[in-house]
Amino acid sequence: MFGKKKTDDTGLEIIDLNEDNALSNDNGPKVLIEFKDVCKKYSQGEHDFYALKDANLTINEGEMVVILGPSGAGKSTLLNLLGGMDSASSGQIMFDGDDLTTYSDNQLTKYRAQNVGVVFQFYNLIPTLTAYENVALMKDIKDDTADPIEALASVGLADHAHQFPSQMSGGEQQRTSIARALAKNPRLLLCDEPTGALDTDTGKEVLKLLQDMSREKKRTVVMVTHNSFFADIADTVIRVKNGGIQSVVHNDNPKDASEVSW
Amino acid sequence: MLFRKMWRDLAKNKTQFISIFLMSLLGMLVFCGLDAESSGAATAVNNYYEKYNLCDIWIAGAGFTDDDIRTAKKVTGVQNVEKRLSLTGTAEKYDNAYMYINFMDTNEINSLMLYDGEPYEDEAEGVWLEEWFARTNNIHIGDTFTVKIDSLRIDAVVKGIVDAPDYVYYVSESDVMYPNYTKCGLAFMSASMYPDPANMIYNQLLVDVRDEISDDESISIIKDKLENAFDREDIAVTDRNQNLSFATFDSEVKQHKAMGIMFAVVFLAIALLGIVTTMARVTTSQRTQIGTLKALGFSKATITVHYVSYGFVISTLGCIAGTWLGLLTLPPWILGMFEGSYLVPDLKGRLTVLDVTATILAIAVSTLVSFLSCRKELKDPPAVTLRPPAAKKIRHSALEKSKLWLRLDFSTQWNLRDVLRNKMRSLMGILGVMGCSMLLICGFGCFDSINGMLDKMYGELMTASNKILLSSDAGSGYAYDLNSLYKGQLVMETSVEFVSSTAKKSGSATIIDRGNYVHIQDKNLKPVKLKKNGIAMTNKMANLLGVGEGDYIRWHLVGDDKWQNTRIAQIYRDPSIQGITMSRSVFEDMEYTFRPTSILTNMSVDKSLVDDDEVSSVLNVADMKTSFAETLEMMNAMVYILVVAAVLLGVVVLYNLGVLSFVEKTREVATLKVLGFKSSSIRNILQKQNIWLTVIGIVIGLYAGWGMLYVICTTVSETLDMFPIIKLPTYLYAIGGTFLVSVSVNFMFSGKVKTIDMVDALKGVE
Repeated sequence: MFGKKKTDDTGLEIIDLNEDNALSNDNGPKVLIEFKDVCKKYSQGEHDFYALKDANLTINEGEMVVILGPSGAGKSTLLNLLGGMDSASSGQIMFDGDDLTTYSDNQLTKYRAQNVGVVFQFYNLIPTLTAYENVALMKDIKDDTADPIEALASVGLADHAHQFPSQMSGGEQQRTSIARALAKNPRLLLCDEPTGALDTDTGKEVLKLLQDMSREKKRTVVMVTHNSFFADIADTVIRVKNGGIQSVVHNDNPKDASEVSW
Repeated sequence: MLFRKMWRDLAKNKTQFISIFLMSLLGMLVFCGLDAESSGAATAVNNYYEKYNLCDIWIAGAGFTDDDIRTAKKVTGVQNVEKRLSLTGTAEKYDNAYMYINFMDTNEINSLMLYDGEPYEDEAEGVWLEEWFARTNNIHIGDTFTVKIDSLRIDAVVKGIVDAPDYVYYVSESDVMYPNYTKCGLAFMSASMYPDPANMIYNQLLVDVRDEISDDESISIIKDKLENAFDREDIAVTDRNQNLSFATFDSEVKQHKAMGIMFAVVFLAIALLGIVTTMARVTTSQRTQIGTLKALGFSKATITVHYVSYGFVISTLGCIAGTWLGLLTLPPWILGMFEGSYLVPDLKGRLTVLDVTATILAIAVSTLVSFLSCRKELKDPPAVTLRPPAAKKIRHSALEKSKLWLRLDFSTQWNLRDVLRNKMRSLMGILGVMGCSMLLICGFGCFDSINGMLDKMYGELMTASNKILLSSDAGSGYAYDLNSLYKGQLVMETSVEFVSSTAKKSGSATIIDRGNYVHIQDKNLKPVKLKKNGIAMTNKMANLLGVGEGDYIRWHLVGDDKWQNTRIAQIYRDPSIQGITMSRSVFEDMEYTFRPTSILTNMSVDKSLVDDDEVSSVLNVADMKTSFAETLEMMNAMVYILVVAAVLLGVVVLYNLGVLSFVEKTREVATLKVLGFKSSSIRNILQKQNIWLTVIGIVIGLYAGWGMLYVICTTVSETLDMFPIIKLPTYLYAIGGTFLVSVSVNFMFSGKVKTIDMVDALKGVE
């Protein structure tokens, strides 16, 4: 289902996903993700509560997207739906031409394993595995993963490969978590407040790393944050409020991660 | 990588996993150990019976001839028949050891197994002696062995050292259970050695049925046919189940099997509870990790397999190690003790299909249980699992709503809530404590019951200090003279056969003359007087025959063809001899001659009395009691297993529980500390709950222990009617021991209260 040549709704041919730079065609940016009237509703007794209501958006391949909004606005819900970690109540979520809302549990699992890398606010490393082993864990779910040492080296942690999470600083743990996400060669890298638990300087390093992923390796990076300063570094900024998409702004000249401060 | 994660998680939670490991190990060790031991014993004895052709049916009577052999052989299903003369006598040179002497023609049935010397041949000169008897008395091939049978005296050269399949178990007197081979032996001779051939009266026919017939039903059909073929009332036809040697060994083996199952159930139940609580805790505490794995794209199946593998790996290691260790340790140990009691060659443990099945089943159940206990965390989508769990819905229990609740102090309220909200954990604690006190009660209760039985046999039911056994040479005159000399009481003990509408049993009849040394006790163990208007039957025999007080029973003396139909006037209980008791006058009213077989006296008896032809031996009751108690090695071993198991069980379960509840309560304890509770008062709060659970566990354990003891006592054998007795010290040991285990294990954990860092414990929950 994944990684094969397919035709999407518009009749455009999508190039093999497993090629590293899937985006390098000449027809301009390709739509990777499209939300069509997506709702996520929780039933609480008699009345329903919408975490997300009639959300519509598109994300192009290779973009750096920042989703901004105060807590409770629905940005985590958005991220969960993007990552196939939760299912929508209604609407369509198109990923590369396929509708995620029609997927079974197993298909969603496969989608996450093949296409999505996640970076969590609290890193979520397995505490009983070393940095190397946390990254190498990805080999269990995907065939063409990067070499764990190379992945760690790309985030500057080659020397820390055999340390346990508890022996590393927060920034190192977060970089390990990024290395874990990157090792899968995911088409979509999702980051949930990746700098939330880090000090400013370390946060910047992490941010830089994520921007490089998008700029140099042409990966689609979607980052959720409540920090509006991050809007400056994004290609696209999506603002979320009260479960709805407030605005989608394209940034023609995104700042370098090293330039922002907060 | 997940495999590595598993090992590291196991190492991190090592206490609980080690306790699960130990429990499954102990369960399988005891079960497979005892099963391999009992199966090994059963296989060895069956091989022995088969190879040396143990007879299937015994016919006891008087004056069997070759015509009788022909008659028996004509019965369909009968393969071979031999006649023999089976008598008892004494070996003067060896402290008047009690001898079973068999005079045989051919020896194709119950063939002798030769250890040393020459094999038995028909009409051979000399005597063949039992191996243990010969060894313990230092008798060798070529020695001259003298045996005295009443007034007859036989001197014979020892030709061989043997064992016989019909004497796997033999004891000198009906009232001593454990063999003492220095004082009791077997001698086999050819019929040609009998010194008085003119008066030789064969008293046994040994019947071997065809090999293909083995089930009880076919055997009993052949028994009936044999009885009809002879058409004589003075014979008793019995099968293997009524044979003392066969039945004793058989019930011993069955008892070990039953014990094995009981132990295994207790241990494995605890192991399973341990898996449930531990796995639930592991998966709960790893909720975020499970969510992460799901988010990363691990399938539900992979994650399930990962967590189930914890329980699987641990129980597999435990069960296999237990099976292996059980096979390695218990059979040699227990079968080693068999050597002194049972004469079976080639005793060794054998792993059976049942052991393998039980091991696999135990692993499968453990795995299933760990699957069920981690399933809960796996069903939600990753987004849900990644969030902290929804707060547990806490409802107020009925108790909390009652007015009484408000009157309770804080620590009681806190503990009550904690117990009610962690039912599984509390249940496990209660079960552990229960098991511990149950095993202790049962273990020490075994001692009490045996001692109680001895006290009863030799202190309440029979109050004489000496028993003079008269030989069949003793005429009435001699017996009466001796009796008045020793101011004793004359007793006649003989064998009888009972027939009721449902069963047919052999037993003993005790006829007592005037005197005050024999007493009987009713069903409730209250002393009662023997009634003059009928016979009294033991409770166990009455149950076996399906009769009760007031019913009529048909019976006859073995060797006498006159049948009686007598009303059972009384039911009484006797621990060791099952049958009937009546007074001399009742006996003589039925037109029998009273022939005393022993004299009971409280006067000291001169040892030289044994030299009289009329006396076969003099038994000192104190000696009998001591030697009996000394030979209870097997019982001691079982008690040791029980006590060790009890303490281990208690420590392991409570330790595991301590770790569990301590980890779960860390935050609560830290909160209490922040609020200003002193460490010592928090400790008291924690200890309080432990004491409640311990008390509940002990109370249930006392009942369960009594039940277990009751089962052991009542299933011990067909001839023994043991009463479960638990004395006060046993209660004290059991209660005190259990409390000690429980309180000291808990003390260790509550000591950690001091080490909890309030700040650390309260932060760091995402």
